Amino acid sequence: MTERDQDAEFRELLERAAQLPKSIEPPRDLWPEIEARIAGKARVRFRAWLLIPLAAAAALAVLLLGRRGPPRPGEAWEVTRVAGLPLVGTTPLGATGALKVGDWLQTDDSSRAVILVGDIGHVDVKPDTRIRLVRAQRTDHRLALERGEIYATVDAPPRLFFVDTPAGTVVDLGCAYTLAVDSSGDGTIHVSAGYVEFDWSGRRSIVPLGFRAETRRGFGPGTPYAEDASQALRHALATFDFAHGGGGAEAVRQALAAARPEDAVSLWHLLGRVDRVLRGEVYDRLASLVPPPAGVTRQGALQLDRAPLETYWNTIRRIAWRRSILKGIRDIDPRTGMAR
Amino acid sequence: MTDLVRQAQQGDQAAFQSLYREHVGRVYALCLRLTADAGEAEEFTQDAFVRAWERLATFRGESAFSSWLYRLTVNVVFLSRRAARRRLQRVFATDDPGTLERPGRDANPGLGVDLERAVAALPPGAREVFVLHDVEGYRHEEIAELTGIAVGTSKAQLFRARRLLRGMLES
Repeated sequence: MTERDQDAEFRELLERAAQLPKSIEPPRDLWPEIEARIAGKARVRFRAWLLIPLAAAAALAVLLLGRRGPPRPGEAWEVTRVAGLPLVGTTPLGATGALKVGDWLQTDDSSRAVILVGDIGHVDVKPDTRIRLVRAQRTDHRLALERGEIYATVDAPPRLFFVDTPAGTVVDLGCAYTLAVDSSGDGTIHVSAGYVEFDWSGRRSIVPLGFRAETRRGFGPGTPYAEDASQALRHALATFDFAHGGGGAEAVRQALAAARPEDAVSLWHLLGRVDRVLRGEVYDRLASLVPPPAGVTRQGALQLDRAPLETYWNTIRRIAWRRSILKGIRDIDPRTGMAR
Repeated sequence: MTDLVRQAQQGDQAAFQSLYREHVGRVYALCLRLTADAGEAEEFTQDAFVRAWERLATFRGESAFSSWLYRLTVNVVFLSRRAARRRLQRVFATDDPGTLERPGRDANPGLGVDLERAVAALPPGAREVFVLHDVEGYRHEEIAELTGIAVGTSKAQLFRARRLLRGMLES
């Protein structure tokens, strides 16, 4: 049967197909999310003449790499100098270089660099930073940040990129974040996309987009808090998380008093960190701020049953995510996550 | 090349937003028919415009901007499908809250007529070829290039799609 025969056989169908609307409006406006995604992706105009020096540089790179032999994948990542004179080991970094497993990259107060994390992301290394490549495997991309500040962006399945710090390990869950560590090993993490998990010795914080967490050597990650959390809440959480010698119950009660619906992420974390008596108070306050979804009972939460806690968490983080992503676009009810 | 496209190429987001408003219905319709899933269609529509923004510099005006954009959209859908395994793993593991908010297929107001419903019910390969050939007007050679299948396979899938549709619409 020829295509013409087919067209005759299916004439009625083809006529109906031709009448289908070419355009269907999506059920909601997709532009705000597109705008958020392209923000910061400054477009680079194509200029053919730029290819000339680039080609020359590429040829030179091939020549140099060919001479000494490139590091094999799995052994090194590419690192690029952005400003100043970063050091790889004791050697000043040229325009680009290789950061091999075990190598330290160090920037001073006027130098910066970018590390390509295999083919899954990159890490901006800010001034006064010392960082080491620990592993460069497909399932374990791992850096160790001794001090300084990095901004990491990863586009990969979760749990492929890790950063060890003196206060624990940052586990990428598909995200972008800024991580700072001071000379004493304490630090902060601020998440600007997705989620980050911070682990230390069985203590775990999940930091969503728009949240921060303090970290302390010997204590691990603190309770995450919203960027716009009150000073009273931050102070109470820091006291509970890191103060030596007690005062925990009082700090928790201060945190509960200072908490808003927008701080539900913080209270959810407290559920697993306080004793059973306090846990009841935390749950009651949390439930008054963000009503628990179906299937979550007070008893289950107090027993730290995994299923109800995860169900509650999914509701809380979904609200937090909508609040962050739609900030300035829609007025989101922090108790439900729905537009008001 | 239109002024809007030129301005967008210069980095003017307002111009790009105007292009979005002008073309989003067509891009969404294409994604919706290719995937038969309203949630995926929204996602691919967003991906297509983000990709278009990133690749605007490569648009030389040798074809209409709309043709360039729709072809890019088809590419986005099929490249994403090839990476579906990875995508699923990621969505599941990060548990993107947005996935919880997508309307189901039944909630899709765009599939309100019989033929649309029948197209959505086709097997994926047959549906894709039918949409590209009989709705969007691509030739088999173009479909083969876009989807990575042989020209003969494209023809066979089209025949299969048409017979299935006719059967569904007659019953």
